[in-house]
Amino acid sequence: MQAKQRGPVKTSGTLPSIIVFVSIVIVLMVIALLNAPTMGGPRVMASVQTYLTEVRATAIPFMIAVAGLAVILGLVAALQVRKVWGNARRRAELFTGYAFLSPYLLVTITFTIGVILFALYISFNNYDIFTRPTFAGLKNYALAFQGFTDPSQRDFLQSLYNVIWYMVIVVPIQTALAILLAVLLNAPMRLRQLFRTVFYAPSVTSSVVITLIFVWFYLKAGYVNYFFQTFLGWFGVSFDPVNWLGDPRGLIQLIVTPFGVDIPSTQWYFRGPSIAWMAIMFQNIFTTVPTFMIMFLAALQDINPALYEAARIDGANSWQVFRKVTLPLLKPITLLVTVLGTIGTLQVFDQVYLATRGGPLKTSLTPVYLIFQEALGVNAPINMGYATALAFILAVIIFFFTFVQRRMIERGTEQY
Amino acid sequence: MVAANQELTPVNRTVHTSDYYIKLLKTFLRYLLLIAIGIVMISPFVLATIGTFKTDLEITAFPPKFLPAVWHWENWSRVWTTDIGQGGTFPRWLFNTAFLAVIVALAQVLFGSMAAYAFARLKFAGQNAIFNFMLGTMMIPGAVTLIPAYVLMTKLRLIDTYWSLILPGLVGAGSIFTLTQYFRSIPKDLEEAAIIDGATHMQIFRKVILPLARPAILTVLILQFQGMWNAFLQPLLYLNSPKMYVLNVALSIFQQQYKSQWNLTLVGAMFNAIPVLILFFIFSKYYIEGVAYTGIKG
Repeated sequence: MQAKQRGPVKTSGTLPSIIVFVSIVIVLMVIALLNAPTMGGPRVMASVQTYLTEVRATAIPFMIAVAGLAVILGLVAALQVRKVWGNARRRAELFTGYAFLSPYLLVTITFTIGVILFALYISFNNYDIFTRPTFAGLKNYALAFQGFTDPSQRDFLQSLYNVIWYMVIVVPIQTALAILLAVLLNAPMRLRQLFRTVFYAPSVTSSVVITLIFVWFYLKAGYVNYFFQTFLGWFGVSFDPVNWLGDPRGLIQLIVTPFGVDIPSTQWYFRGPSIAWMAIMFQNIFTTVPTFMIMFLAALQDINPALYEAARIDGANSWQVFRKVTLPLLKPITLLVTVLGTIGTLQVFDQVYLATRGGPLKTSLTPVYLIFQEALGVNAPINMGYATALAFILAVIIFFFTFVQRRMIERGTEQY
Repeated sequence: MVAANQELTPVNRTVHTSDYYIKLLKTFLRYLLLIAIGIVMISPFVLATIGTFKTDLEITAFPPKFLPAVWHWENWSRVWTTDIGQGGTFPRWLFNTAFLAVIVALAQVLFGSMAAYAFARLKFAGQNAIFNFMLGTMMIPGAVTLIPAYVLMTKLRLIDTYWSLILPGLVGAGSIFTLTQYFRSIPKDLEEAAIIDGATHMQIFRKVILPLARPAILTVLILQFQGMWNAFLQPLLYLNSPKMYVLNVALSIFQQQYKSQWNLTLVGAMFNAIPVLILFFIFSKYYIEGVAYTGIKG
């Protein structure tokens, strides 16, 4: 760049902008090649040559679509380069900016945008990595909802049913508990740091560790049964140990059974979340509350103390201060916590994989666990098209619920 | 209630003392509650740690006994020297986990702060669009990229290599966001002096911004280390041979293999938990600030 400025004639930006255009198109096409919907396997991936042959055979439409995008992006970039080339300062900022952003852009275009485009394409195909993708139309999406007519194909519907119960129970409880703990810790006191650290400990360790410990707690000969037996024993109530993670009886089923109502297993959708599923919910609440508690605590410490003073002077009691001052000010963070909670609960996996494997009677089956099984071919041949279709349906559901929550929370707190 | 009391009773010494006792009682109850919650929060770790010293019969005995009859320290060495074949040993898994966590955390800090500098300190076309795009990608559920990323790794033959976890983890929107917010809060005076002295952006980035951003960098470092250490679903998909397992994956295998030997499974769990817990108790300030910071962005 120093050399170019030396010349008496102002250099034109045409050549550099052409170079920029070409390099952007090349980089994007290489990333597209990596994500091209072709079959894999040692024979195809033996060399660049064999892979390119395979791309030519199956992925030409995909490559053309991506090439269009790449040309548009390249053109926009080239025009910008041409525009700022004459101004040394702006030129430096443009090039430094994109140089600094390049690791992020490369990673995100390859592993987020590229793979999503690939997944979108594959979701309309039959595909198992090791054979060529064949067009399937809407078959994969239709298969997801086939459970409505064919009860033997109900896995995905039941998994949605399970995670929606999970969300409905876990998100409100963990949000409320997190607020309560944060308020409790926010008062001036001694040893606050210590309490905060201890309360946060369950959120630090991996969910695998916590889940394993809880599986042990939930054994028929475990501490949970021991706790109930001892505690209820003080009141003279006897308690039969429960096989917590193996009990398929549903919440609604448990409520109506004493009234002589029986819900047959064909009507699983009336049974509610099973005991096993609720046991996992409890464990999840235990590990997530501390994280959200810290977020609320940070928000509480940002609240101007003068607001509390004013409320006190106006004669508000503690509860009124909490309702009318604290809660409305926590609105943004509450929204964030419920949205994060929703995204997390609808995608629950670790606990299911380690504790129940989707059982008993599929009452802890979840969409991500199903997707995982489909992709690895656990119960049936590998079906990547179906797995990606399930993932997109799940994503739409997640967007829907986060949108609804946004509206509810924004409206719900307007009255103050 | 306190306000009502004050209105109804005439102001004299006895009221002050009863007020004082109510306050004392409240403080006492508050601490009692805090201690009770604290016990609940750490009880899984305490019970599990004690459990590691029990025999396999004691650990599933009902009713359970709090302490083992004899402390079986050899459980720990037994797990440490376990060899499940094909190079699958605990020291190896510990190394895999620590190695991946360190590399990913360092890369996130390096590339994350580069991107953050571009967002916070430069002005160029497309900057806002890319920043908003980045915020948008944070809303994409992980389930969507899981399968196609796995296909990509399979095609590139990166399954069972460290690369499969390092490449996608080199830099992430979360780290960039945290660092950008912090960089924006750094006053510009120092850089202006540097610019007058003819410093390049690279020099300003290295000599001015990075040293000043140490708290944010430590926060990102710690949170990313913890995130990778605790990752489960991706390592479970990508790392399939015993030699390459990380602790979390090894534990899930372990649990199936030693179904009735809960004492050994719990030792494995503690091997996983202890390093992170130690790190947390040393750096708890940065952890908590990091989590709080991700909250404030909302």
